[in-house]
Amino acid sequence: MTTTEQPAGPVLEIDDIHLYYGAIHALKGVSLTVNQGEIVTLIGANGAGKSSTLRAINGINRPRDGRIRFQGEDITHRSAHRIVKGGIAQSPEGRRLFPRMSVTENLEMGAFQRTDRANFAEDMERVFELFPRLKERRTQKAGTMSGGEQQMCAIGRALMARPKLLLLDEPSMGLAPIFVERIFETVVEVNKQGTPVLLVEQNALMALDVAGRGYVMETGRIALEGAASELKTNEQVRKTYLGEG
Amino acid sequence: MATATAALHRIRGSSLIDAIGLLILGLVVIWVVVKFAQDPTRFLNVTVLGARNGAIYGLVALGYTLVYGILQLINFAHGDVFALSGLVASTMIISVFGLDTTTGVLLIVIGLVGTLAVTIPLFAVVNATIERIAYKPLRNAPRLAPLITAVGVSFIVQNISLALYGVDFESVPNFIPRTDAVEIGGVGIGWNTIAVFLIVIPVLLVLTWFVRSTRQGKAMRAVAQDREASAMMGIDVNRTISVTFVIAGGLAAVAGLVYLLQFNIRYDTGFQLGLIAFTAAVLGGIGNLTGAVLGALMIGMVEAWNEGLDGTPGGDWTRSMIFGILIATLVFRPQGILGERTPEGA
Repeated sequence: MTTTEQPAGPVLEIDDIHLYYGAIHALKGVSLTVNQGEIVTLIGANGAGKSSTLRAINGINRPRDGRIRFQGEDITHRSAHRIVKGGIAQSPEGRRLFPRMSVTENLEMGAFQRTDRANFAEDMERVFELFPRLKERRTQKAGTMSGGEQQMCAIGRALMARPKLLLLDEPSMGLAPIFVERIFETVVEVNKQGTPVLLVEQNALMALDVAGRGYVMETGRIALEGAASELKTNEQVRKTYLGEG
Repeated sequence: MATATAALHRIRGSSLIDAIGLLILGLVVIWVVVKFAQDPTRFLNVTVLGARNGAIYGLVALGYTLVYGILQLINFAHGDVFALSGLVASTMIISVFGLDTTTGVLLIVIGLVGTLAVTIPLFAVVNATIERIAYKPLRNAPRLAPLITAVGVSFIVQNISLALYGVDFESVPNFIPRTDAVEIGGVGIGWNTIAVFLIVIPVLLVLTWFVRSTRQGKAMRAVAQDREASAMMGIDVNRTISVTFVIAGGLAAVAGLVYLLQFNIRYDTGFQLGLIAFTAAVLGGIGNLTGAVLGALMIGMVEAWNEGLDGTPGGDWTRSMIFGILIATLVFRPQGILGERTPEGA
């Protein structure tokens, strides 16, 4: 994939969405934007609504109010598989690999909605280049791999979709520091090749290091937003998320 | 209740229960070897019949295991769809194609293929319609709801069979001769047995290829393993589930015809056979296609040995034995012969 000069307009615009699980009001009017070429991070405590936001973007859960636009089109009420076909790929929380499929098959599933099968082998090679470990394990059942390997596989699977927007949910969760670094390097690399990324993280420090802008979520709302460098120096963020105080 | 479950878990984890299971299995194997040694010819003749019946059960078992694999639903209606398809096949063979004992080979083949050409699409659509109307609205309901619904649909289909065909058994003439096609050392394999395998084996091969290698088959496996992650990969989950029911319905239609070639069939045949096939699917490891066929072959043989050999409880006890196997499977090896222990706890 070559880096192409893209207009710096918004790829994803979320406008005041409300999401309910039964009677629980999980998202209480969330708005955020991801522009072309950006890494945007969404940080916040457990249960703040980060994953719910991603699930709403993906069409897994329907927001009751508000609008989600992707590349200018309203996708709020589109079914999940059509949203994915439109170019949004996600590496979900908890990885969610297909445990009884091999690594190769999992990567193939990532490219399921693509109609251009021609570049398929090339893309798989690219994923193996990013994560040489996966190549060694390509015939192994995904469910039998270590957490770090599974995380690589989940990200590789999302990349196989050749996404126009990459959603990453807690890619560093439960991983050894060496893996965490590798994964964040990859995120930056993928972004440099032209894919905008929306990164949900609990590891706020790392996330703010790689991201250009950030949003801080608290109990279903966006509490703060701004340039990553500003958020990093923000008193409140430092206290709550960076373990200082 | 909670303590009982905990106790059961402890027992399952212990090696004592494994030892008891292996002991029982060992005794059965010894018994089979002894029976074989006493009269090899008779034993093998009986076993051939068992394998034939097992192959038929296997076709029905595949329908259960496919649907269970993808929805974790025991589709009780499957056996009744199978029976209705057999009844429709009898109409096709007798009234439309008029096959009887004087029909030539070519016309028999045309008649059978023609029957399947009608019943496979018909019951594929019937099965998918059942899913759409009865199960899909309950997709996110607690598991008990679709299960009870499946029992209800089972009764509905059974009563449709009753309304259309009455209480009498339907059968077709023996246009495929029951005489031996091959005989090796006193062990005979009848033409009708060969006909069963000629239909069942290609169906199994095509099904296995489909699930392993095609795009749609991979989607089915993905949805079976993680429905939500499948949606995130761009798989149309609802469509994939519909396709699964289409395939299961087609399999039921093939099974209905093959069963009809050997036995009589009536409105409630599917209930009994459905339970046998379900047991086969559990024995093999529910959700596992090869396992379903393997389990069915084993049940077919147990049944044949019980009814065809000396020194057994005899035919009156066949059903008890089959459900005894179901219980023993659940106690000693809940994941089945080929099943894997899944996180949900199979």
